Amino acid sequence: MRPAQILALVIFLLLTLDAALYCHVRLERLPRQRSAADLNDIVTAGLGLTDLCLATEARYTRHPAVSDPMAPFMDHPGAIEHFPTGSFWAVPKDRYL
Amino acid sequence: MIIELQSVNKVYNLGQPNEVQALFDINLVIEENSMVCLRGASGSGKSTLLAIIGCVFPATSGRAAVAGKQLARLPDRFMTIHRRRTIGFIFQQFNILPNLTVLDNIALPLLPLGISPDERRQRAAELIERLGIGHRRDFPAGQVSGGELQRVAIARALINNQPIILADEPTAHLDTTLSHDFMGIMVELKNAGKTIVIASHDPLVTEHPDMDRIIDVRDGRIDVS
Amino acid sequence: MKNRAIEKHFNLLDYALSSLWRRKLKNMGIITVFAVVIFLVASFQILTSSLTETAERMLAQTPEIVIQKMSAGRQESIPLAYLDRLDGIFGIRAAVPRVWGYYFDETSGANYTVMAADRSLMPEGKNLEMAIEGDFPAAGQGEAALGREVAANLKLAGRRTFSLFRPDLSLKSFRVSGIFAESTDLLTADLIVTGLDEGRDLFAIPENLATDLLLYVANPGEISTIAKKIAARLPDTRVLTRPQIHKTYKVVFGWRSGFASICLLTALAAFAILAWDKASGLSAEEKREIGILKILGWQTADILVLRFWESLAVSGLAFLGGCTAAYLHILFLEGSLFRPVLLGWSVIHPSLKIVPVFAAGDLLLIFTLSVLPYLAATVIPAWRGSTIPPDAAIK
Repeated sequence: MRPAQILALVIFLLLTLDAALYCHVRLERLPRQRSAADLNDIVTAGLGLTDLCLATEARYTRHPAVSDPMAPFMDHPGAIEHFPTGSFWAVPKDRYL
Repeated sequence: MIIELQSVNKVYNLGQPNEVQALFDINLVIEENSMVCLRGASGSGKSTLLAIIGCVFPATSGRAAVAGKQLARLPDRFMTIHRRRTIGFIFQQFNILPNLTVLDNIALPLLPLGISPDERRQRAAELIERLGIGHRRDFPAGQVSGGELQRVAIARALINNQPIILADEPTAHLDTTLSHDFMGIMVELKNAGKTIVIASHDPLVTEHPDMDRIIDVRDGRIDVS
Repeated sequence: MKNRAIEKHFNLLDYALSSLWRRKLKNMGIITVFAVVIFLVASFQILTSSLTETAERMLAQTPEIVIQKMSAGRQESIPLAYLDRLDGIFGIRAAVPRVWGYYFDETSGANYTVMAADRSLMPEGKNLEMAIEGDFPAAGQGEAALGREVAANLKLAGRRTFSLFRPDLSLKSFRVSGIFAESTDLLTADLIVTGLDEGRDLFAIPENLATDLLLYVANPGEISTIAKKIAARLPDTRVLTRPQIHKTYKVVFGWRSGFASICLLTALAAFAILAWDKASGLSAEEKREIGILKILGWQTADILVLRFWESLAVSGLAFLGGCTAAYLHILFLEGSLFRPVLLGWSVIHPSLKIVPVFAAGDLLLIFTLSVLPYLAATVIPAWRGSTIPPDAAIK
């Protein structure tokens, strides 16, 4: 077999794997995801939720949408915000009307 | 005549401080199916002359015709095409890629011609057998002896069935026996209809009985003495 | 003639691949490093776009207006009397007082979110059972529904009751009425949902106070007008509207993914520079090889095509491999490599059962940021190298 054919074979195998994954997602995961999303809608509306439960370490990371801007600096006005996710979950700002 | 040079000059680094004129007003005619030797010390300009005949680079001025084509105004691209159709090169250092097998080295000129792997292998294998290095076919070229390398280089120069073979100091790295063998092959090729130009100052080559003509090159000029 | 042209490209590809193979250790290394970088970028891209999509969908259901009372720059409980002061603002469909807060569980170190509201006042409130294995807690019965992670952290193990501390350290006991379905983990993992009275009891919040007020309006187009009116009437509150929350989320997600993207792009850029450096500094051996090929009748274009195939094979394989690995990573490992970043110091780790939405746009973005720079970084220097005059081989 010439090298070009080996490369083609490798690429073909990778693409087949990708196609299989795609089909798996389409046929298996997506329908489940859809029903889960419907349930999520009910929970969100029913409980009045505002945020995803991703980082539960502090209130401004758990519920960034409804936390006040001071939340990360509760203890002292000059305190340094110290949770690692804090550097990813930006402090909400500019929401006063 | 297969090679015809008229008033050919070659200047390296033209217009720069390190400008050097390598060839002065060369007039030369080489007949088809002859074996010619360019004799001269190193630095005499014989390699430059060989390169111009071999369409490696154009002359600075003058007219050069090889295998029926005027090279003067040929763009680089067409010069390359003309070169691979007409010229087979054999170098002093052999210029073999040591990582490739003997067979692959020989077939190297065929790749950009769009020749299929099967045909390449077949053509290379024929030449390998003809030159008696069949047992080395699939060896990496870096692992074969000097004499065998020389044969690999010859096979590569023949792979595209070029009518002209140019050899630059081909025996410089070979011992006497191998040099004799080399000349034997050259004679065979000449008898098969090739035109052969060898640049050398090795007496084994220059004084070979089958040599048709010896052209002395000295300081960039053809010595007519 | 046409076959010859195709065959020529195949030949050059063959030659490119076998010269890659001859230096397989080095080239495999390059492909691996490249694939890892692409894997990281692609994983992150999938994860953030999936999360963004989930968040977007969620935001469509959040309360239209949330009113919080502020004091000394901090949020505090809001008097229910404020509800009366909303009377006469036209367009408010419903106003729901809610008690909620955080409970720090000292034994496990986890933070729970305790939620308490009258579900009969909430949209979809009557359907909540669908998302719970068991029952929704009945008001006033001391019942609670738990998120799966809460149940796990409380180590209930079949028990139906558990106790939490009131602020005065007396114990308040709950009976578990149900557990939230696993598929809602991304929303409910840390939730303890209970009745209003139980919530007040636990947090020791007086009868006349609530944590915040949720407002639902009749016409979503009037949200901001109504919010302005409320803000004027209740100057010591802050009024959050759904569009504002949406905007915050855009900032949060944008900022976060921007931050990580910058880190990852730096890695990509470093790789491109490396590739450039490698390709531009042609070694004497490579120069000699090019010289030999040219004197044997290879055109400058042939050498370029050769280099192009080499780079395309390396970057294409890395791209395919990296993207496939990223997809597997998100699909089957729930993006475990990025979870520490997302979850930080949290004790509660909701499962990220994310279906990778890998849009053509994402693929194109990653392709443009990885394969194209690599091709540019290797082919352009190769072009300079390929113009080496053939007589370089003779000397």
